[in-house]
Amino acid sequence: MALVTVEKLSKKYDSSPAVSQTSFQLTSGKCVALIGPNGAGKTTTLRMLSGLLKPTSGTIAFAGMSQNSDIRNSIGYLPQHPVFFKWMTGKEFLVYVSRLAYLSKPEALRRAKNLLERVGLAESANRRISKYSGGMKQRLGIAQAMIHQPMLLMLDEPVSSLDPIGRRDVLTLMEELKEDMTILFSTHILGDADEVSDEVLLMHEGKIIESGSMGELRQKYQTAKIKLGFDGDLRDYQEKVTALPTVIECYIQRDVLHVTVQNMTAARHDILTAASSEEWPLTSFAVNRASLEDMFMKAVNS
Amino acid sequence: MQWWTLFQKELIENVRNVKWVWVPLVMILLAVMDPLTNYYLPQIIDAAGGMPDDTEIQLPEYQPADVVMMSLGQFSSMGVLVIALMSMGVISGERKSGVSELILVKPVSYLNYITAKWASLALLTLVAFSLGMLASWYYINLLFGALSFGALLQVLLFYGLWLLLIVSISIFYNTLVKTPGLVAFLTIATVMLMGLVTTIFSHILEWSPNRISTYIQQMLTTGSVPSDLTGAAIVTLMMIVFLIFGSVYTFRKKELAS
Amino acid sequence: MEEVSILSEINWAVIAPLLVIQGILLIVAAIDLIRIDRTNGPKWMWALIIVLINILGPIIYFIFGRRND
Repeated sequence: MALVTVEKLSKKYDSSPAVSQTSFQLTSGKCVALIGPNGAGKTTTLRMLSGLLKPTSGTIAFAGMSQNSDIRNSIGYLPQHPVFFKWMTGKEFLVYVSRLAYLSKPEALRRAKNLLERVGLAESANRRISKYSGGMKQRLGIAQAMIHQPMLLMLDEPVSSLDPIGRRDVLTLMEELKEDMTILFSTHILGDADEVSDEVLLMHEGKIIESGSMGELRQKYQTAKIKLGFDGDLRDYQEKVTALPTVIECYIQRDVLHVTVQNMTAARHDILTAASSEEWPLTSFAVNRASLEDMFMKAVNS
Repeated sequence: MQWWTLFQKELIENVRNVKWVWVPLVMILLAVMDPLTNYYLPQIIDAAGGMPDDTEIQLPEYQPADVVMMSLGQFSSMGVLVIALMSMGVISGERKSGVSELILVKPVSYLNYITAKWASLALLTLVAFSLGMLASWYYINLLFGALSFGALLQVLLFYGLWLLLIVSISIFYNTLVKTPGLVAFLTIATVMLMGLVTTIFSHILEWSPNRISTYIQQMLTTGSVPSDLTGAAIVTLMMIVFLIFGSVYTFRKKELAS
Repeated sequence: MEEVSILSEINWAVIAPLLVIQGILLIVAAIDLIRIDRTNGPKWMWALIIVLINILGPIIYFIFGRRND
């Protein structure tokens, strides 16, 4: 079921379009990664979804909500560089924003306490936010975004500014949150998207150029490629491999033989048979999976 | 309920950033500065080396009403400056730093947001101003002669309205521009321009807010509220309401992130 | 001599409130400066301004020295 349907969404700054004619759907209960290089229009898209920016044209429809009801009740948003009231403590800030979302005081206190524990800030709950590290602020940011239990949680580059430990913490947290709500997060680091997302939207120059589940996209952009490692001179075997009927192309790159094949199953059989009967000194045999990076480059180029 | 949450946050913030300490103290200093220097002028001149023996120092005998006007004179210049400076960042600063991005994606009503900001500034300004005038009143009774408490209350009421107008102007510019310094500049420029226009067109602008202090002087000398003061007060009140709704309107039309 | 003593008696009722205000401004500004994370410009400069400029120093610090975040 589509939770959010975006149609022909455009945003122009002065006259240069940041987002142009973008349409996509967010499926309820999925974790969706919005991927694209810096300046692709990811932040602008998220800000329009959160209501912070008004679209130049196009529509955003939330399932089960009329046009004029306040969508802010159902969304949580974490900007790329969240700024807090530094004079508040982490707990005070959470209670404050949940009171703004019309929660009662005891309920606000209860949720603030639970969430601080969940994001690992229980010990720093009563410290001023000015003393928080970058990773702590990011985790507090996620906590404040979800404190009113929104249907859609939007995170703008949630991990790109963090050190490896902070990054790991936040990715683990997102993995857990996937169970409870729909998540849309932007990133320019493809590995992060690969790790937690069910679906991806590839964005380039203000447009969504590809979308689908990770599995679907893998299949679509699957490159039938095998990497072979040998003991000895690779060139001796390059010819032999090329001579195999299922092999299209074969080239050497950094001590590895890259083999492009027609049919993976047949090619694997041919290569391994030849290798065992002729006793090739194979050191490695790897079937290449299409990485998000490959997909992205292909999608951009096509 | 949401309004109260917003208002409470403003109060706590202004306690923690010590505005609740320094603004009242500054207002007290402004209120007593001129009365004290005028009272001690002979001693000050003496201490500075004195005048030649044959010059007769003729100091005017100040009436309590004159002294009230000295205090108000300071508020009209330095007081306006202090209000403009302490209020310049209340909304624009939050937008500039980006913290409003977190607050305004929550279901916050813009009317609540603006009026809570206005109310907290108005409260601080009125309390600080009242404490200043109380200090001035203390010195008036001590050094210059009796002034009734009723008269003081009338001064607080009418001049307080003028200060609320300045708060409202500042709030309005806060919603219009994002740079705190520019907000302060525009607020002060507007007050000066209003003063200029009032002077030039004095024959038609009898109910201009800028004339409130002139009418207060009349009120203190005659002992009754001049009808022009009531008129000016009504005009001021209308402008305040207009500015508050104007602020909500501009804020609603603004894109909150850019 | 008598005149001087009368003068100094009046002086206290007048001057005491001012001294108290000056003291509060100085102390609050000093405590705030110690507790605050960052100021506009170096902290030592603000310490000098608060201590050396009578009355006006703390006020200038509150308006221009504090970072409002």
